[in-house]
Amino acid sequence: MAEEILELRKLERRDNDMELTYEDGTSFVVTYDDLRHACPCAKCSPLRNEDEMSMQLRRTVEAYPKQKPMVQTVGNYAISFEWATGCSSGIYRFERIWDLAHRNDPDRGRPYVHGAW
Amino acid sequence: MSDSPVSMHTPGNEPTDEAPNAADPAQQKQMEQAYAQMKRKMSMAEIGRKIKHKIMVLSGKGGVGKSTVSTGLAVALAQQGHKVGILDIDITGPNVPKMMGLDGRKLHVEGGRIHPAQGHLGVKVISMAFLLEDEDTPVVWRGPIKLGAIQQFIGDVEWGELDYLIIDFPPGTSDEPLTVAQSLPDIDGMVIVTTPQDVALLDSRKSISFASSLKVPVLGVVENMSGYTIHGKGTPGSTVEIAAPAGRTLSAVCDEEGKFNITLDIFKEGGGRSTAEEFGVPFLGALPFDPGFVRGGDDGVHRIVSEPDGASAIAFAKVVSSVQSQLAQGSGSSLEII
Repeated sequence: MAEEILELRKLERRDNDMELTYEDGTSFVVTYDDLRHACPCAKCSPLRNEDEMSMQLRRTVEAYPKQKPMVQTVGNYAISFEWATGCSSGIYRFERIWDLAHRNDPDRGRPYVHGAW
Repeated sequence: MSDSPVSMHTPGNEPTDEAPNAADPAQQKQMEQAYAQMKRKMSMAEIGRKIKHKIMVLSGKGGVGKSTVSTGLAVALAQQGHKVGILDIDITGPNVPKMMGLDGRKLHVEGGRIHPAQGHLGVKVISMAFLLEDEDTPVVWRGPIKLGAIQQFIGDVEWGELDYLIIDFPPGTSDEPLTVAQSLPDIDGMVIVTTPQDVALLDSRKSISFASSLKVPVLGVVENMSGYTIHGKGTPGSTVEIAAPAGRTLSAVCDEEGKFNITLDIFKEGGGRSTAEEFGVPFLGALPFDPGFVRGGDDGVHRIVSEPDGASAIAFAKVVSSVQSQLAQGSGSSLEII
């Protein structure tokens, strides 16, 4: 999976989603629901291993109040989001954001095994 | 450390519309921890803005001179008039205060913020060594406690405005650099310190790969203990022969005053440069094997301070210049968040 990704230049937080602009000027929209459903933290990730649990996670995140998160870069390799609900554990590598922007499965079809990522 | 470095995250326990019950002591403690964690995160973001350049100094192997390079970089940059800080992340073996002549100092805490000790040329220093009652006491902490301490060192320290923050790590590629890379925004890059021996080079390759996985640019490789220069005197015009490592014989011709010098490559030669070339990262320079570094470290006066015109200071100046030219190329992330 050594796909070359472009550099993310701009992240604009909007009411329900964020607009991502890459170095070549292309823009993508990722909803906060999609973002939170794809949370890579150790609590959310295992919930995507099974369809039913994944749908339940989806329903949970869709029920959250829609508020802009606080966004921070993590080193030079990722972004983290702090939500009004207090969640801030997920560290989204730029590759993961790229996958979400391009509607790819950010887990790449791999089930989560604790400690394996 | 009172607060957990792990933020609370329980998808099943998100706030609901129901009226909350009064918080019990455990919940109150959790809320206090969450508040402290939030304050720390905001402080870390502020540090990101107040400190212009953040440089990590790593090596795969121990004993290659990371702290010597860290303190040397800091002092050399301070000599240029920059505001500099050193964050000694080596929790279990903190040496920077001693090398900066600050051993025995205590940190000043005011308004819940830790104020760094200040050494030569105003270089600010934070280290675990300042918190130990006795320098012989080992710090025996498991990972999560160490991580909490590191986050506290980053988030609760009043660095003020700095041009450069040099972060000195313990050897290896474990929790410490990972935590810093995750906590501090916009790190400029890593300086990898190695010696020319195969074991150190092997480990420094791991450090370069580690930097790549964290998307932290490698500013370059510094080869320490590169060669030991012997100075002597003989008959003018005569040839002097020295038995060198690996069964080699080195020779030099005495000048008109009878002086000669020969450099012995005690730990082989050129390994740092070849490793840098192999991985396509810059070679920042070679520092000589200089017993003055050892004396300076023990006495708390860096070699480049005690002998500013010496060969070691000149070599250090080249390394600093290479680091600065790498920084000038600006390889950091330029993400705009609106």
